[in-house]
Amino acid sequence: MVERSFDVVVVGSGAGGGTVAKELAPLCRQGLRVAVLEWGPKLRESEFTGREIEMADRLYFDGGGVLTRDGAMTLAFARAYGGSTMVYTGTSLPLPEAVVRRWNVPGIEFDDISRRSAKYLAENNVHLLEDERINDNNRLFAAACRRLGFRVEQFPVNVKGCRGAGVCNLGCPNAAKQGTNRVQLPAAEAAGVEVVTNCRVERIGERECFATVANPGFGELSRWEPGEYRIRARAIVVAAGAVNSPALLLRSRLPLRLPALGRYFTAHPALILVGEHDRPISNFHGHPKSYYCDHFAASHGFLLETCMYFPFVTAKNLIGFGAEHAELMRRMDRMQMILVLATDPALPDNRVTVGRDGAPIVSYRFTDGVLDALVASQRAAARIFFAAGCTRVHAPAGASFFIGADQAGRLDELIARRHFRLGTVSISSAHLMGGCRMGSDPATSVTDAWGKVHGVPWLFVADASLFPAAAEINPYVTIMALADRAAERVRARIAELPA
Amino acid sequence: MTIARRRRSNARVPPLNAAQWEFLSCVAARIVPAVASFDEPATARFRAIVGKAIADRPASVRRQLALFLGVIRWLPAVRWARRFDRLAPEHRDAFLRFLMRAPLAKVRNGFWGLRALVFMGVYARPEAWPEIGYAPSFKGNERLHG
Repeated sequence: MVERSFDVVVVGSGAGGGTVAKELAPLCRQGLRVAVLEWGPKLRESEFTGREIEMADRLYFDGGGVLTRDGAMTLAFARAYGGSTMVYTGTSLPLPEAVVRRWNVPGIEFDDISRRSAKYLAENNVHLLEDERINDNNRLFAAACRRLGFRVEQFPVNVKGCRGAGVCNLGCPNAAKQGTNRVQLPAAEAAGVEVVTNCRVERIGERECFATVANPGFGELSRWEPGEYRIRARAIVVAAGAVNSPALLLRSRLPLRLPALGRYFTAHPALILVGEHDRPISNFHGHPKSYYCDHFAASHGFLLETCMYFPFVTAKNLIGFGAEHAELMRRMDRMQMILVLATDPALPDNRVTVGRDGAPIVSYRFTDGVLDALVASQRAAARIFFAAGCTRVHAPAGASFFIGADQAGRLDELIARRHFRLGTVSISSAHLMGGCRMGSDPATSVTDAWGKVHGVPWLFVADASLFPAAAEINPYVTIMALADRAAERVRARIAELPA
Repeated sequence: MTIARRRRSNARVPPLNAAQWEFLSCVAARIVPAVASFDEPATARFRAIVGKAIADRPASVRRQLALFLGVIRWLPAVRWARRFDRLAPEHRDAFLRFLMRAPLAKVRNGFWGLRALVFMGVYARPEAWPEIGYAPSFKGNERLHG
């Protein structure tokens, strides 16, 4: 086993880890050593092919096919230089004040989160896309929402030189999306932070972690030779995401029992809905996600967003099979798509545990409220599709595969909970949150409001696992704001931590 | 055993035997009718994609898939006194619809997984894209407005 020693080790390089790396980079100028250990590879630019299965295999855990324990929900999260910022669409919203109030974490103030979020909105070039860059799929959604009186907003996105490849979820082939792989990590490396890719951290011990380096056969080789490593550090920051951070801490021997560890996992469970136009529209060309509708967020617990997915993901998300399914699939150039997301409650039994082999297991129970929200969201989406001019709509809770425009007046009857069965419908999540929730009580939380693990002065968490409840918006700016706080606390405390 | 080691050991075992591949193709043709008319290269590509996806899964999932294919092959005999591949097409579809909406969640999940494998093998092939109207471009903005 090879031994290495650093002052600070950061586990993970996504929105949380990448941010911490950059914010700790000034320590390098003081002679301290900082390392980022990232499970995934750093892809070469030529390896961003935009091909669905190839990129999913390269960037996502289990090729994007991680399932909850009961198989009812697919969880999409990445491993790569830049983590899941490689595979999101770049939508960048700061946390609303109402959510901060609902979180009710002593020490977390809206003004502080806002100030830190604003820093990253500027740093990562977040802005509204120009009108001429918005495709029909998005325009039609916005216009229909306005026609129906639904509140609709444009998503700010973090792109620079976007050429509209439309494959944001497969890694931008034009290097346009400004994730941590393009902004924070290169800045950190330039300042002396060592980023080690293809390095899986297995467990954490007293001021040390144990990791394995193995190159997967694509991407750049890790800067460390393949093998097993014992890495000592004065401080360790865990930023491996809401599935792998709790799993890593559960595999590790912490000096304090933390009953909330792994619990209160939330996911914004999501469905993809499809409407069909009688003519081709621009949908897979251009940025895929420009608008969202939060009209029903407070009243019904769901959000609607534009989206456009790829052939396999689209096929998987339509319900059913056979001739009707194939008929709709043959019209990808006529499809309008909406992603609906439910804002789910943080429940102690929705949790991450680890199996005998140490791999994470996510147990998730859909509450009646979430299922009702997912059904109601399909009715709202169907109204938007028909207001946008679709001739027919496919909804997973529909009484039949297609609902025609002539049936638009019967949506409450045709889209109903009795048609909606878990295991038949493709529910997915890309907003994984909780598991190491912040709070002041070690009985109900894992870290304090600065991400320091209760009872362990050298151990911090800096990712979406900190969220005490769902963010109710796309989470990555909030992750960066919380990571900024964790980094600030590490900088302030590092001198006190023994070498 | 680490996850990486487990995957390497899985990769050495063929994902399905010849009879299972043939049966999977029979089921796949009901899930996506175009599979029935696949030529040799299309079949090879379909099997390469599906085979890799199966090989990447843990051994327990592979065993579940093999078991589930066996259930699909033989369970129709209870209702129709014939195994799946000897049923009339409408009965094959009726049986698959039963699996899709089965009272047992494990059965529904099994069919969902099988369906996903077939869709992956069919629609992840770039050769299929022209037939479904999908023509992505890295310079998509240039094609936005006419």
